[in-house]
Amino acid sequence: MTEKRFEICPTSELPPGDRVITTLDGISIGVFNIDGEYHALKNDCPHQRAPLCEGKLTGTTESTAPGQYEWTADGQIVQCPWHGWEFDVTTGESVFNPHSVKAKTFQTTVESTGEARGGSSAEAAGGSPPCSSCETSEVDGEPPVDTYDVEVEHDTVVVYL
Amino acid sequence: MTDTTTIPAESSASSNEISLVDADIHQRWADDEEITQYLPPRYKDDGIVAPTLLYRNPGGFFRQEDVADDGTKPGTDLEKLASTHLDENNIDYGMLTGNSWFNLAALPNRDYAVELARAYNEWLVNDCLPVDDRFLGSLYVAPKAPEESAELIREYGDNPQIRQVMIPGGAEVPYGRPQYWPMYEAAEEMNLAIAVHPFSEGHGTSNAPTGAGHPNSYIEWHTLLGAYYMGQLASIVTEGVFVEYPDLRWAFIEGGYGWLPHFMWRLDKNWKGLRSQAPWLEQRPSQYIRDNVWFASQPIEEPETPEQHNQILDMMHADEMLVFASDYPHWDGDDPTWGLPPMEDSVERAVRYENAMELWDLPRNQ
Repeated sequence: MTEKRFEICPTSELPPGDRVITTLDGISIGVFNIDGEYHALKNDCPHQRAPLCEGKLTGTTESTAPGQYEWTADGQIVQCPWHGWEFDVTTGESVFNPHSVKAKTFQTTVESTGEARGGSSAEAAGGSPPCSSCETSEVDGEPPVDTYDVEVEHDTVVVYL
Repeated sequence: MTDTTTIPAESSASSNEISLVDADIHQRWADDEEITQYLPPRYKDDGIVAPTLLYRNPGGFFRQEDVADDGTKPGTDLEKLASTHLDENNIDYGMLTGNSWFNLAALPNRDYAVELARAYNEWLVNDCLPVDDRFLGSLYVAPKAPEESAELIREYGDNPQIRQVMIPGGAEVPYGRPQYWPMYEAAEEMNLAIAVHPFSEGHGTSNAPTGAGHPNSYIEWHTLLGAYYMGQLASIVTEGVFVEYPDLRWAFIEGGYGWLPHFMWRLDKNWKGLRSQAPWLEQRPSQYIRDNVWFASQPIEEPETPEQHNQILDMMHADEMLVFASDYPHWDGDDPTWGLPPMEDSVERAVRYENAMELWDLPRNQ
């Protein structure tokens, strides 16, 4: 495999509807979070090489009959900032001619990176009843606190070129 | 559906091979009474009251040698029209387009416009078409009354010589609007083409004849007919007329064709970025034009060199869309023998008759 692997950012930094534009191996690439799925698109419109990924992220229209509009693919269509050509971010295909006009896409995954660290965090017990078998005591009127071990995975958005 | 085989088989053409179809021949009535006899009683006393063209042509509007000494205008004697124009030019079919001056889209009263259209159609089927089997007929309708116009189309459209419905180039709103669609539905159902011919542009209640406003002179008015047609064509394509009526055949007469490459390229280019405004279009807009629309040749474009004309023909797909028209007996007509510039044989056959046969679904053997 000659694929090159690039870590883009933690998933927490790329919420749904957001995108990040970055340069990987000299190529400008937009990485999008569309409804929790990550997609990478070359930032280069096949028409006149506009920075495609800087365009409006929107939906588009379909129709069943003249005069009828249906809104579809909401948040999944990037509209080229220059001439308005629409591309489906999830496939790179243009809406007007999906078979032969396409923007280049790249494989994008989410991978766990770094070590899963043991840790702890405190959570208020809320309305749960006191643990009768626990040795607890109220200190200065503070309610009893249950503690749990929590594993935090560090998920990272990864693009392969 | 009209049975295309019922067109009479007689023809005075020298062979049963089709060689020339003329898309625009103007017959006219010598006396208004020929039309007004068919008006209902409520309009008998009115006669023909129609807006008129206010632009003057210094040479007149007819081939001057065909105007009789007594002032009788050419096109009034239909037998003579057949024996001179059709016979002498070996025309196998000639589409009669009537007399522009009704200006039916520029009349303010819808009912009167419908009745005037009906009277014309009566005259056409009773007094014109029976004169010669080679004559084809164009129904008149009143675009401001689309439902009543659809009734006229169904009432007269089964005459086998009737092959199209004519609407004026000028109208109150563009022809893609759904208000007009009952006419298109009827035309498709009756297997008739819709043809746009210049009239009403800037007359009466219709819009200014150019987007820039009212011209100063006839040279401006006549030059810009194609610009008016561009507005109509953009409307009917983008509003989805050919999506709704995929078998509808449409013709633009006398508005030129040299602008078509520009128009089709620009429309397709815009569609790539603006497709979402007309998502019902299932293919690039120019494809609807190539599949559903024809253009009459007269007045033929005369670029600086013959090669440039052939380039236009190539760019516009003339082999699919261009049909010969003489516009006889008007001043700017093209002669059936000398009017067409040299072009490739296959294109010339398409322009002389093959495209017209398709436009009007004419039988191959007369």
